This record gives sequence, structure tokens and C-alpha cells, in this order.
Amino acid sequence: MFNVLLAEGRKALTGRSWLYLLGGGILFGVTVAYGYATSVEDTAAVTTQVRASVTEEVIRAWMTMHLFSTLFGAVFVAGEYHTGTISRSVLLSGGRGRLFAAKMIVGTVMGVLFGLVAAGAALLSPLVFIPTFADFSPEWTTVGWQTALGVFAVTALGTCWGVALGWVVRHQVASVLIIVLLTLGLEPYLLRAVPEVAKYLLTIAMSSVYLDGKPELLSVPAALAVIGGWIVATGAAGYQLLRTRDIT
Amino acid sequence: MSQDAVARFRGVTKRFGSTTAVEDLTFDVRPGRITGLLGSNGAGKTTSMRILLGLVRPTEGEATVFGAPYHRLDRAAHRVGVSMDGVNSFPTVRGHRDLRIWARMLGLPDSRVDEVLELVGLDGRSNRRVKDYSTGMRQRHALACALLADPEFLILDEPVNGLDPDGIRWLRGFLRSLADEGRTILISSHLLSEVEQTVDDVVIIQRTLRYAGPLKDLVRESGDRLEERFFELIGTETKGVVHV
Repeated sequence: MFNVLLAEGRKALTGRSWLYLLGGGILFGVTVAYGYATSVEDTAAVTTQVRASVTEEVIRAWMTMHLFSTLFGAVFVAGEYHTGTISRSVLLSGGRGRLFAAKMIVGTVMGVLFGLVAAGAALLSPLVFIPTFADFSPEWTTVGWQTALGVFAVTALGTCWGVALGWVVRHQVASVLIIVLLTLGLEPYLLRAVPEVAKYLLTIAMSSVYLDGKPELLSVPAALAVIGGWIVATGAAGYQLLRTRDIT
Repeated sequence: MSQDAVARFRGVTKRFGSTTAVEDLTFDVRPGRITGLLGSNGAGKTTSMRILLGLVRPTEGEATVFGAPYHRLDRAAHRVGVSMDGVNSFPTVRGHRDLRIWARMLGLPDSRVDEVLELVGLDGRSNRRVKDYSTGMRQRHALACALLADPEFLILDEPVNGLDPDGIRWLRGFLRSLADEGRTILISSHLLSEVEQTVDDVVIIQRTLRYAGPLKDLVRESGDRLEERFFELIGTETKGVVHV
């Protein structure tokens, strides 16, 4: 199993897809953080409460990294179906279950890497953007620190879900489209339309974890349980498909 | 048939929806020999190999390697080497890097990569991306991958495709040298004249089994070349099962 893990680690870091996705996440995070930092029009009359709120928003901007970490996870699996390397992976790994576990573990490790970068950038960006563009200093609060922790958690968990989804969809383009549409389109729409149901959707539950603050959202422990449920359910479906379907 | 067949098909049938890819295949692959799996395009050669490797599950019957289904065989990846269309390398990765990934998965040192690259004649030419290789180089790369674990049994699907005449002659000698070392080779092809110069045993399928046995028995019976016998056999609907 150790050899399979090392090989999957090599795969994860081979090529540039992880760098492109990490870079894309950073670029997106910078853009959104900049937007929040420049949102205060009258900086002369800003209160401590406003400074704290802007700081928290700039930190929260980095939750966008979870989209990119999820995409990495999905491409890490579905990309092998796209290139036809999945057959060789199954043959050389010593079994489908072993390959599934190795991809899940390595995907999670990569998610932690994405999460650390996101959380680090989230804590750094108020120090850079707010004095530069808002002309006041950031106000650090407990909520701010908890938001950074939430950004780390959803980014790492996003990769787990991406890996699981990759096993279900087994098609690179389709899995990317599904993630983008769910994250940016369907789930936000459902939150507006049927919030009592939508709060149990994956990315909406994630917004509870990075303390988005909407009143209809779940508590953090409940949201973490919902996210875990989605990952376990999707992973179980993916494993069942891997175990029973022909690899052609 | 001998008890020590390296690969064994017993009543193997595979249906994809309403299409039957192979039907009631029963034959053995004998140890230490080169067996040619022959059939026209769509005859079921690749499907049969994928069933043998457990990538595709048979609708009926069973295929075993060294007495067990591939997925239950201990150290299967070390005992069976595979070069097959659809069992691919990473196209955007440099050749030696791709092989190092698979060597790591097998628990082999990176130095083994250099050894197999030399064996297949790609040493010094593996610093290109696999997708930029010529077809012949890609065949050699796939063969290098199959040889990584120094396997006892090689399964090669159309390995001659894309090779130039020098490459074809090289491959013929290379496979013979591997068989002389006691390895077993199952090779699929539709290039009959090439197969005739390479294999010891022949399995001919055209959805169903048409012949399985020594090449010399097949061509001696009529005095014809393999090509004539092949077309006679696939042109009939006889479902005779002949054990090697």
C-alpha cells in the first residue's frame, strides 16, 4: 500500500495541473479579497466594527479556493479515465480497493496543501490589502481567526469530495462542469429558492464552516456532519462503481 | 490439458448489451511459449485479454492467470506484464518520468527504469513527452512498462503496430529471447505473416473459438500457410473447441 501511495503522490505532483489550479485559486482569492478591501467608500469615518467586518470578509474571500481544490480532486481521478491510465493503475496497484484508498488519501493530503495555502493567504491578505486599498488597519477578531480555520477546512474537504465525485462521474469534462455548475449556479440558486432544504447541500454547508453568517445556515458542527455525509455517500457510490463496472 | 497452464479461459462469454463480443471461449496458454491470439478486427481479441486481466468481467465463464483470477492472484502486477491499447501511460509526462511512476507503484527502484529503457532501445530518447513519441516509440515505451517487474507472463496487444521493419525484426528476436528464458507470452495480432514467424501456438477467434493449438499442427494439416488456414477457419461458423 505504501508504494501505491508514493506512486499516487508522484502522479499528483506530475504535470502542472495542481500548480495551475493552485495558481487559479490564488488569483481568484486575490481578486475577491481586493474587492472586499476596496468596498468601504468613506474610510475616514470607519468604526472598529466596520474594520473587523472588512477584515473578516477579506479572510472569507479565500473560501473560493475550495472550488479549485475540488476541481483538483476530481481531475486527479477522472483525468485517469480521460487518458486511459486508469487501467494501468488498477492493474499495478494490487486491487481496486487499494487504488481507491490511495487516491483518497493522497487527494486529502493535496487538499491540506491547498488549504494551508488558502488559510495562509487569507491571514496575510488583510495585512496587505486593507492598509493599501482601504487606508486603515485590519481589526483581528476571534471570528476572523475562526473564518481562516473554516477556509482551511472547506478547502481540504473540497478535495476529498472532488476525488469521490471523480470516481462517480469518471469523465474529466463532465466532472469539472458538474462542480462548477453546482458551486456557482445550482446550489446558490436553491439557497435563495428553498433555504430550508438547500442548507443541507454540500457547498452551502461549507459556507456555514467559513462563517458566512446567513441566518438560515446550519451550525458549524451540523454543517461538518453534513459535509462528511456527502463525502461518505459520494465515496461509497464511487467505490461501488469502481468495484463493479468494467474498465474499458 | 496440462495442469500448469499460465492462462486459462473456460466458457468465457462477454456481452455488451445486445452485442456478444466473445462467446464460449475455452483455451489454455501454455508456459514458456509464445501464443498468438488471432482474429480480424472486432473478433474479440482485446476483450479476451481485458477479461483475463479482470478489467472486464465476463458475462459467463472464467479466465484465470496462474490458476486464479487476476484480482485474486498474489503479486499479480509483478508476475504479469501488460502492453495493451487502453492500458495507457500519462501522455503529457516525459517517458522516463512516466515509467518511474509505475516503477514506484510496483516498489521498484528508479534504476530499473533505466534498465528497461535500454532493453527496449529507448535509452537516451526518453526525455520527451509520451504524446510526442512516434507510434513505434510508444510501442517500445509500453513494452518497457510491461517489463518493469521482470514478469513471468507478458500480454501484448498488437505490439507490432507502428513499428518499422527494423523494429518488427527486433521485436521478433526480443520476444523469442524472452520465451527462451522461460517466460510465457500471449500476443494478439492481425498481421498473420508476422505472427507465423514468431509464435509457437495459435488461438484463432472470431467471436467464438475457431482453433487453439500448435502452429505447426495448423499449417501442417493442410500444407498451407497460416493465412489460408486463418481465412478458412474464420469463414466458418463452426464452434469447435480445441484444447492446446
